[in-house]
Amino acid sequence: MKILLKAFLLTAPINFVYAAEGQKSAGLPQMDIATFPSQLFWLVITFSLLYLFMWKFVIPRLGATIEERRDKISNDINDADNLNTEATDILKKYDEQMASASQESNEIITNSKKAMLDHLETLKKENEEKVYSLISESQAKIKAQEEKSKIEIRNATLDTVKAIVSRYIENIPSDEEINKKLN
Amino acid sequence: MAADNPIDPIHQFEISKIADIQLGGIDISFTNSSLFMVFALAATMALFVIGLSKKSIIPNRMQMLSELSYNFIANMLRDQVGDQGRAYFPFIFSLFMFIFFCNFIGLIPYTFTVTSHLIVTFAFAGLIFIAVTIIGFVKNGLGYLRIFYPSGIPIFLAPLIVPIEIISYLSKPISLSVRLCANMLAGHSILKIFAGFIVMLGFLGFAPLVFLVVLYALETLIAALQAYIFTILTCIYLNDALHPDH
Repeated sequence: MKILLKAFLLTAPINFVYAAEGQKSAGLPQMDIATFPSQLFWLVITFSLLYLFMWKFVIPRLGATIEERRDKISNDINDADNLNTEATDILKKYDEQMASASQESNEIITNSKKAMLDHLETLKKENEEKVYSLISESQAKIKAQEEKSKIEIRNATLDTVKAIVSRYIENIPSDEEINKKLN
Repeated sequence: MAADNPIDPIHQFEISKIADIQLGGIDISFTNSSLFMVFALAATMALFVIGLSKKSIIPNRMQMLSELSYNFIANMLRDQVGDQGRAYFPFIFSLFMFIFFCNFIGLIPYTFTVTSHLIVTFAFAGLIFIAVTIIGFVKNGLGYLRIFYPSGIPIFLAPLIVPIEIISYLSKPISLSVRLCANMLAGHSILKIFAGFIVMLGFLGFAPLVFLVVLYALETLIAALQAYIFTILTCIYLNDALHPDH
């Protein structure tokens, strides 16, 4: 606080010069008409300089910079928009190609499935036919063998009967008679 | 000397000569007031010279600051006046920056507040008043007189309305200048009084110190606000001159 007070006292004498000179420090300094010409004069000078500075230097340069930035931003936004539409197009094309490719592959899969099934079916049929023909052939063979065996058995039976009969009686019966009895 | 001066709140507004200059019997001495006018000019110039020294698409802080003030005033003028206001932009911009820096430099202890003197604010207000009146008559001819008789008012009210409008029009420069000057004068006086209390109360001085800090923040706000108000009122008066029908 003492330092502040000292600082004030050091600057104070400057401020007293004017008041002592004018001998009218009573009342507001704002009402001291004697200071008006000086204030107005320096105000005109400083403000005119500021106005010139603003008018000739600041506003054109700042305006140009801001304009330049606005142009740059709108250009960049345009570029970004263009790139965006391009990317969207590419994406669309990609999607289309993907769709057609998947359709194609689906077709291929169904076709090959169908071909495979057809092939299987024909193979199955062929084999079945073969098997059936083999079965009927063997059945025919078995039947023929059966017939043959039956005849052979009958003949053998006949011979046996004849032999047995001829041992006990002299009259040998004919084949028809034996057959009649066997049946 | 030490006893009465530190607490004299008016002392800070006294004008003291730095260099004695007489021109044809008129005293145009370079005073502390003139010095702080030069400071305000220098501060504005410094802001824009530094801000514009390296203008780039992506601004640095100082460039940002200068562009911010530019856009602030440009938008204010466009909102209030429209595109016809463009021609007056250099004046409005200079006016704002000058008052703004005068107010702010005045907040620094031991400085002088240029705008606390009525003659300075009245010089601005009077210049604006005269300019606005001339612009009004140049742009609208005698049709500018319509501002004294707003449309939609019954004729029998004219004897009442027209004098009121004329008085309010003529009082514009007074209200404009007194508002700024009185705000600066009152604010700085109160600051000084409370600063004096701190010295007087010694140890108990912390109470006015706290108050002073708060008050100083308020005064900082007022310094910016009054510059803004002065400028926006100028824009409104200008708009009245350019579009008297509204």
